[in-house]
Amino acid sequence: MGLSDSSKNPCQKSLSAQILKWASTQCCFFARCFLKFNLRLDFGVGTAGSPLAKKHIEPRGKKGSLPFSELDNVESHLSITIVGASGDLAKKKIFPALFALYYEDCLPKNFIVFGYARTKMTDEELRNMISRTLTCRIDKRENCEDKMDHFLKRCFYHSGLYDSEEHFVELNSKLKEREAGKLSNRLFYLSIPPNIFVDVARCASLGASSENGWTRVIVEKPFGRDSKSSGELTRCLKQYLAEDQIFRIDHYLGKELVENLSVLRFANLIFEPLWSRNCIRNVQLIFSEDFGTEGRGGYFDSYGIIRDIMQNHLLQILALFAMESPVSLDAEDIRNEKVKVLRSMRPLQLEDVVVGQYKGHSKGGKSYPAYTDDPTVPNDSLTPTFAAAALFINNARWDGVPFLMKAGKAIHTKRAEIRVQFRHVPGNLYKRNFGTDLDKATNELVLRVQPDEAIYLKINNKVPGLGMRLDRSDLNLLYRARYPREIPDAYERLLLDAIEGERRLFIRSDELDAAWALFTPLLNELEEKKIVPELYPHGSRGPVGAHYLAAKHNVRWGDLSGEDS
Amino acid sequence: MAALSSTHCRSYSPLQSSSFGPSSSSSSSSSSSNLGHFQRVSVSSVPKRFLAAKVYSLQSQTKSVARMQDGAVASTITPIENETPFKKLKDGLLSVPSPDECKDAVGFGINENDSTVSITVVGASGDLAKKKIFPALFALYYEDCLPKHFTVCGYARSKMTDAELRNMVSKTLTCRIDKRENCSEKMEQFLRRCFYHSGQYDSQENFAELDKKLKEHEGGRVSNRLFYLSIPPNIFIDAVRCASSSASSGNGWTRVIVEKPFGRDSESSAALTKGLKQYLKEDQIFRIDHYLGKELVENLSVLRFSNLIFEPLWSRQYIRNVQLIFSEDFGTEGRGGYFDNYGIIRDIMQNHLLQILALFAMETPVSLDAEDIRNEKVKVLRSMRPLQLENVVTGQYKSHTKGGVTYPAYTDDKTVPKDSLTPTFAAAALFIDNARWDGVPFLMKAGKALHTKRAEIRVQFRHVPGNLYNRNFGTDLDRATNELVIRVQPDEAIYLKINNKVPGLGMRLDRSNLNLHYAARYSKEIPDAYERLLLDAVEGERRLFIRSDELDAAWSLFTPLLKELEEKKIIPEYYPHGSRGPVGAHYLAARYKVRWGDVGVDQ
Repeated sequence: MGLSDSSKNPCQKSLSAQILKWASTQCCFFARCFLKFNLRLDFGVGTAGSPLAKKHIEPRGKKGSLPFSELDNVESHLSITIVGASGDLAKKKIFPALFALYYEDCLPKNFIVFGYARTKMTDEELRNMISRTLTCRIDKRENCEDKMDHFLKRCFYHSGLYDSEEHFVELNSKLKEREAGKLSNRLFYLSIPPNIFVDVARCASLGASSENGWTRVIVEKPFGRDSKSSGELTRCLKQYLAEDQIFRIDHYLGKELVENLSVLRFANLIFEPLWSRNCIRNVQLIFSEDFGTEGRGGYFDSYGIIRDIMQNHLLQILALFAMESPVSLDAEDIRNEKVKVLRSMRPLQLEDVVVGQYKGHSKGGKSYPAYTDDPTVPNDSLTPTFAAAALFINNARWDGVPFLMKAGKAIHTKRAEIRVQFRHVPGNLYKRNFGTDLDKATNELVLRVQPDEAIYLKINNKVPGLGMRLDRSDLNLLYRARYPREIPDAYERLLLDAIEGERRLFIRSDELDAAWALFTPLLNELEEKKIVPELYPHGSRGPVGAHYLAAKHNVRWGDLSGEDS
Repeated sequence: MAALSSTHCRSYSPLQSSSFGPSSSSSSSSSSSNLGHFQRVSVSSVPKRFLAAKVYSLQSQTKSVARMQDGAVASTITPIENETPFKKLKDGLLSVPSPDECKDAVGFGINENDSTVSITVVGASGDLAKKKIFPALFALYYEDCLPKHFTVCGYARSKMTDAELRNMVSKTLTCRIDKRENCSEKMEQFLRRCFYHSGQYDSQENFAELDKKLKEHEGGRVSNRLFYLSIPPNIFIDAVRCASSSASSGNGWTRVIVEKPFGRDSESSAALTKGLKQYLKEDQIFRIDHYLGKELVENLSVLRFSNLIFEPLWSRQYIRNVQLIFSEDFGTEGRGGYFDNYGIIRDIMQNHLLQILALFAMETPVSLDAEDIRNEKVKVLRSMRPLQLENVVTGQYKSHTKGGVTYPAYTDDKTVPKDSLTPTFAAAALFIDNARWDGVPFLMKAGKALHTKRAEIRVQFRHVPGNLYNRNFGTDLDRATNELVIRVQPDEAIYLKINNKVPGLGMRLDRSNLNLHYAARYSKEIPDAYERLLLDAVEGERRLFIRSDELDAAWSLFTPLLKELEEKKIIPEYYPHGSRGPVGAHYLAARYKVRWGDVGVDQ
């Protein structure tokens, strides 16, 4: 357990001993607590009572700089190391997110960003590379150039092998130089292929852990391919890291509307009474991309859409959607509830799943390639690029309510949304106005995660006029119209949370295990039986099998109903 | 059965309910099965406009029913005639998305060759007639909602020729903004159907002359007659007596529409009803409350009963209070004579707001039929406590100077006595002592000369028990509750205030609206309330008219208070013309832990 930062916690040096003792067993909790505590001081709230009292309250985005300026008193220093700095994700997401946080004054005063990769590169070259992807908030352009320069000056590069402890020791000494004796907190972002996760974790932990502050490691999916490999990965990581040092990122959980899901449920009186099998007929979790693998199917082919999207993103959203009310908004309370949902679910059955793969398609003189046309994909690949599944939660709240998931590549539209279809009105007085199709007359709540974040509730109302005709209209909230400010990228939120030690949006090991337990039997069966996916044209609405699966459970997909597809 | 009879009933319900026909129709109760059936029939002309797709599958059955009833009622309808309109109707039903819901005019087709409707506007030279009734009739004609054979007859004391009447009427006719084509042509055609007859309101003789004229126009067809009494209340009974005894239809129905005021209190209202009933049956009296004809008031029941998500919330368990708000941004402006005798409580609260309250709070009716709905409304009214003086705040506007312009006080109006205590503003807290609403305050507020023109229903929900996000709101839970707002005017809209997260890295909550703005969603012009109500009266649809027992129940809630206000000469709280009304309204609200939603920061 090389990196445990429990004993030398920064908090003990500076702040209310009472609070610190209270939390003394939870090392990483300290940092967060510590930050928040400063926050509370800023807002003039006393120290009495529970240190948790205002934990999630303060707007970090706007006033985030406050705690950090306080922090300077104890001279702490944050080093963020991007392992795999030359990769795509690092360039497209991580560096820009870090810059955005810096730009919004959300990073501590003393921080540096280190790129680490095998490529030989100078600091200048790294800066040059990064600078191309940095952008400023559309709504706040002023000083952007200046800010960029400042940010780039904090970026450095270190070249080394991923499995060389020696190279990480070199990194360590570079970091120490920059830290200049300050309290050192270190965040490693592993933006590398999964097969070298453990090597890097080992080297970083043994060679470059912080000695007096915290050390945290962010890992991205894939977390294994099934229960066994995932268990193995977790076991290996835990050789070098404590549970609370591991931050498994699922960037979907950082999306604005996913965050808002809990707010909607728990901060509005009107939704909670409806949130159960009594009123909800089915729930649909829909994800689609309008492009295929496009020459980069190598990684994808060994995972497939089920592992890539369903087992993590959609299942996480499902768990958040369906969980019982947590004791508090603390990370452990929320994750406890999520695990309970996952453990109440039936493992997926083959007959409740439809898989598909896109085939070539010509439209308007243009032809779109099949999945297997991708040169990085074997010609006989059976990997699904589309899947639909029906899941069930066997608990008191959700017994019998189908949760349908659908995810696909090369579909006609790019979309991510949650659809909640309510039951029909019992003994509806206006029945005859709908003819016989009661399905079309039920209420529906839609949370559209992308594109164009929105919440809308389909209601029946009267068409204005002398007659009595009913109609479905939307009560809606279009984010763009209500909030002209740019919505931060999911990575910004997640990075900030990791820095602050807020674990709510990261996946705990037992959550991960439970998630794999649901999907592993199915995945094995698909592979053993060599189930052939239903082919669908590139750019189409996906295989029709998805409709039959839905029909089997008396569901109609809300996104293809013609009204708003 | 109700659904299918609905397609036909319109054709014969008029025949049946002739005031001089066999005494089949007292619709005050539905105890006898015969009666019950009849009521359903007469009422369910509404569903005709529902465009029920189910109807046609039951076609054959319907036909036989119709024939049977035809036989019983009138022999004028042959099965062949019966067939055609039904087909037309069916077409109308199937083309559900058609914007033209007045296709149901074909319903008249059944009788189109042998029945006629004569609409007599008594008091034709008055303001209401000119501004509302004639234009509404024209709009109905324009939309093909009136039967093929109809005439409109103006009746008043002034001497006028038909041409003069047409000239007068033509000045106020307008076309639907969204369908201008052929408008002038249609106007011409409409005006040719308008006639004038001059006479005294209490002269049977003059009405007999009218009868003769009407007969001429009816040309021997089945004659249905609708009288719209657009006259002062003191001559209601005279006019009804004369119309009933001298100008009733001999072989069709005769109906009379009356407008408020229906008396000043329980006694005078009962006297009026008794007077009317000397000459008319309950089902001939159509007491209009034009607020019930407003689009969003109609929609209130649709929202409640055709959406799963609202009904579970519709009770004291989730609703903290309900607010019914009406305001005008002008005073009496020289026409306070009538108003001064009534005051805002009688003028707005006891009828419009109370009616909306009853619709809002009623239990689910057995069906959408008029009698079922009105039965439920009466139950609500009868479950309410009569208003107490301490639950009412009254106000009167005083003059106010702003930006160099001086706005007059109510008592500056020349038609108002200088020492008038008549309230031009009132706020009241009402309670319904039934299982659903026990303890939930229903607050009403109505005023003239306020800063804004507005009519809306606000439903404030309770706070979230054990709210996880409690601390995000600080201590003011009041500001964080959900609220449903149904805005009747201006700019019809429905919106639901919800709490959501402000996008961004922090966790800040915010109230946003889930909204439906009618102007954005429905580009079509929304018909005037009078159009709907006139059409309903022509069709015999009573859902939106006030039954005598409803009226009694409404008066008995307000009469003790009104008496006390007058006996004790309660002085209204003065508020500046154009202000937000007397602050007393806030204290009244505070007493019941309510905060008015319309004067909050984020309305």
